[in-house]
Amino acid sequence: MEELKNTLKLQIIESLNLEGMKPGDIDDSAPLFGEGLGLDSIDSLELMVLLERNYGIKIEDAREGRKVLESVESMAAYIQEHRTV
Amino acid sequence: MKPVYISSIVVTSPQQHFEDDGFLQNVFGDDSGCLYVKEPNYRKYINPVAIRRMSKLLKMGISTGMNALERAGVQQPDAIITGTGRGSMVDMEAFLLSMIEMEEEALTPTSFIQSTYNSVNGWLALQTKSNGYNQTYVNRGASFELALFDAQMLLNETEEAQTALVGCFDEITPDYVRVKGKIGYWKEPAPANLELLQKADTPGTIAGEGAAFLTVTNNKENTLCSLLCIKMLQDATTDEVVHHANEILTENNISLADIDVLLCGMNGDVNQQEVYTTMIGKAVANTSIAAFKHLCGEYDTSSGFATWIAAKLFELQEIPEILTVKRGRHERIKNILIVNHYILNSTSLILLQAE
Amino acid sequence: MSERIVITSTGIISALGIGEEQHWHALANKKTGLKYPVHLTTRHASEFLLGEVDLSNDELAAMLDLPTGDNGYTRTTLLALVAMQELVNKTGLQLLQDEPLALVNANTVGGMCSVEDMYPDFISDKQDGSFIKYIDTLDCAESTLNIAQYFKIKPFTATISTACSSSANSIMLGSRLIQQGIVKRAVCGGCDALSRFTLNGFNSLKNVDKEASRPFDQTRFGLNLGEGAGYLLLENESDAVARGATIMAVLSGYSNTNDAYHPTAPSPDGDGALMTMQLALQKAKLSADDIDYVNAHGTATINNDASEGKALQRLFANRKPVFSSTKPFTGHTLAAAGSIEAIFSILAMQNQVSLPNLNYRTKMDELEIEPVTEAEQMNINHVLSNSFGFGGNNVSLVFSKP
Repeated sequence: MEELKNTLKLQIIESLNLEGMKPGDIDDSAPLFGEGLGLDSIDSLELMVLLERNYGIKIEDAREGRKVLESVESMAAYIQEHRTV
Repeated sequence: MKPVYISSIVVTSPQQHFEDDGFLQNVFGDDSGCLYVKEPNYRKYINPVAIRRMSKLLKMGISTGMNALERAGVQQPDAIITGTGRGSMVDMEAFLLSMIEMEEEALTPTSFIQSTYNSVNGWLALQTKSNGYNQTYVNRGASFELALFDAQMLLNETEEAQTALVGCFDEITPDYVRVKGKIGYWKEPAPANLELLQKADTPGTIAGEGAAFLTVTNNKENTLCSLLCIKMLQDATTDEVVHHANEILTENNISLADIDVLLCGMNGDVNQQEVYTTMIGKAVANTSIAAFKHLCGEYDTSSGFATWIAAKLFELQEIPEILTVKRGRHERIKNILIVNHYILNSTSLILLQAE
Repeated sequence: MSERIVITSTGIISALGIGEEQHWHALANKKTGLKYPVHLTTRHASEFLLGEVDLSNDELAAMLDLPTGDNGYTRTTLLALVAMQELVNKTGLQLLQDEPLALVNANTVGGMCSVEDMYPDFISDKQDGSFIKYIDTLDCAESTLNIAQYFKIKPFTATISTACSSSANSIMLGSRLIQQGIVKRAVCGGCDALSRFTLNGFNSLKNVDKEASRPFDQTRFGLNLGEGAGYLLLENESDAVARGATIMAVLSGYSNTNDAYHPTAPSPDGDGALMTMQLALQKAKLSADDIDYVNAHGTATINNDASEGKALQRLFANRKPVFSSTKPFTGHTLAAAGSIEAIFSILAMQNQVSLPNLNYRTKMDELEIEPVTEAEQMNINHVLSNSFGFGGNNVSLVFSKP
C-alpha cells in the first residue's frame, strides 16, 4: 500500500504538472481539493484519466469521482479495491 | 467613426518581449526559416497554480495582455477583444494526436479546453475580474484588425471614458510548419530572415509567431498615438487596395505627402509583392518606406507587431536602419500607414497618427 | 436615436431538417432529432445520441451542385452553404451582392471534422494526395470565406469563435455594424459540424449524456452534441420597409458580458448569467415582466442549468417565467446554437406558441421554477434567448414582435 501511495503521488505530480513537488510534500490524508493542494475541477478530471490509464478504473460520473479523489489515501484505497490492471 | 487612442502597446516577439524597454537593440537573425518568440518571465503575471497547465500560447497571450494593462495603469479593462488566426496549435495537436493514439479513450481535458480560441480571453477576464465585453475573432489575416476595429466601434458607442484591451497571438509548431510547407507557404531552402526582403524574386516566405497587446481608449490624454482608421479587405485587387487607401486618407484629411512612413508587410514572396510594389510606387518623396516581416516572420496576426513598430517610431521619432527600405524627406513622423497582406488573400490598412 | 434593427430572413439546417417549416413542425410536435450517428465515424457511435444532420457530405454537396468525394469542402462549410442557400433563395442574391453587406459567421473548430481524419497524412512525409486540398481548412474562417466565394459576394467578413456563445455574438456584432453605418445589411450566424475531436473533448469533461439530455431536470447528467448552421438577415427597419420585406422580428436588445469566474464553469449562483440578461433587457428598454418566453442555454450540464436556473429565478423575482431549452431537439450545436435558437425564438413568437423542454420530469432541488414542457398557445411579444460559452463568454438577445 505504501508503495502504491508513493507511485500514485509521483503520477499525480506528473499528471498535474506540479513542478518542483516531491512525494514527500504530499500528505497521505491531506485534502487534494479546496485547501491543501488547491486543485480544481479540471484537475479532478485529469486524475480520473490517470486512474483509467494506469489502473483500468473508469469513472463515468465526475461527482462520484470527486469523492474518490479526496486524498491520496482515499485514492489508494479505491485503486486497491477496483483496479483491473 | 471617430479616432480612438492607444495608451500602451507591447509585444512578445522573435526580436524582444515586453520586459525589454529598448527597441530592436539586439536584432535577432538566423536561417532556420522559423522565428520563435523570445519568451518573457510568465510567472510574473500568472498565478502558479494556473500556470502549470498552460501551454505557450496561453502564457504568452495572458502575460503580454497583463503587461499592456500594467503600463497603461489600468486594472480592469472595460472590454477584452482579441484576434488569432489559429489559436493554440500545441493544445490542438496534443488533443488530436492523443485522441488518435488512444483511440478515443481516456483523454485528458486540459488541452481540449485550452484549444478553444477564446481561452486567452477567458483567463484575462478572470485575472482582471473584468465582466465587460469580451470577444475573439478568428479570421485569418484580418483577426487582429477585426479586434481593433471592434474596439474602435465599441469606444464610439459610448459617451463614457472607457479602455479596451485589444490583442492578438499566434504560434508555430514544427508540425504546423511542415504541413503548410506542403502547399508552398515557405521558401525552400530557408533564407536568413534578415535577408528575406532581398530574396523577393522567389515564392514563399518564412514562418513567425508572436503576441501584441494594446490598451485603446476614447480619452486622448496621455496616449501614444491615435488610431484613425482600419480597413480590412478580402480577395481585393491591387487597384481596390489603392482605392481604399486613397479613400481613408481623404476621409482623414491626409494627403499622400503627409504620410511620413508607409510600413509594409512585405514577406519576400514574389507572388505577394504586387500590392507593395504598387503602393510604394505611388508614395511620394516625403514618405519613408519601412518593412517589418523579416523581423517577425509571416503569421496571421503580424499586423499587431507592425502596430507596435509604428508606436515605437512615433515615440523615438526615427526609423532604425533595420526597418528602412527607403528614407523619405519628412521631418517629423506624424502619420503612419500600415499596409499588410496575408497569404490567404487578406489585405489590411491601418492609419495611425501622433501629435 | 438609432433605428430598430429587424430580422427579415433566415436559413437553417440541423438534425431537425432544413428550413423554418421543417424545424417548426418538429418543435411543435415534440419530435427530437437526436439519434445514433451514421455519418460521423467514431468508436462511440453506438454510445452517444447526437443531433446529426440526416445528410452525408456527398448529399450536401449535391444540393449545392458541388463535386462529391474529396472536394476540399469540409462538412462545416457544406452545412453553412446549405443554410445560406436557403436564406439567399428567399432574399435574392442581387440584394446581397449590390448593397453593402456584412457576413458575420462563427464556429468552434473550423474544418476539424475533415482534418482529423487526414491529420496523420498531413504530418507524414507524403507530399501528395487528396489531403492536400484540406490543409488550409482547419481554421474557423474557412467556412466564412467559402460562403463569400460560393455566393460571389464581397462583404465585410468576420468570424467569431467564443465557444457556445459564438453565433449569438455574430448577431450582436451584425446589429452594431449596421447601427454604426459600416454596412447596410448583415447576414449573421454560425455553423459547426460534429467531429471526433469535439465529441471526445466534451466527453473528457464528463459532461456528455449517453441518453437524451434533460435540461433543468434533477437527474440531468450532461449534454448531447449536435451540428448545424443558422443564419439571420439583419437590416434597418426603414430599409426593410422600403423594399417590401416581411419583418419577422425586431432585435430589440443584446448584451455580452464575461462571468470572470472559471475557465469552463459558470458562477454557481448565476451572477454572470443574471448580469447578462439584465443588461440585454436594459438595452431593449424592457423589464423582466415584459419577457413572455425565455429560450434558455440549457445544456443539461450540472453546472449550467443550476447557474442559469438560479439566474432566471432571480431575474423573474415576481413570477415564474415561461422558459425552456430546445437543445434536446437538436443537440448542442455549439457555435451554431446562438443563431439556431434565435431562429427558434422568432418562430415561437411568430406562431405565439411556447417551445417544449423535452425529457423533463423532475424539478431540480435548488430551483422553484420548472421549464415548460408543451408547445402551448400563448401571448409572446418579447423573447429572451441565452447563449453561454466557455471562458465565461455570456450573451443574451432580446427579440420582439414587429
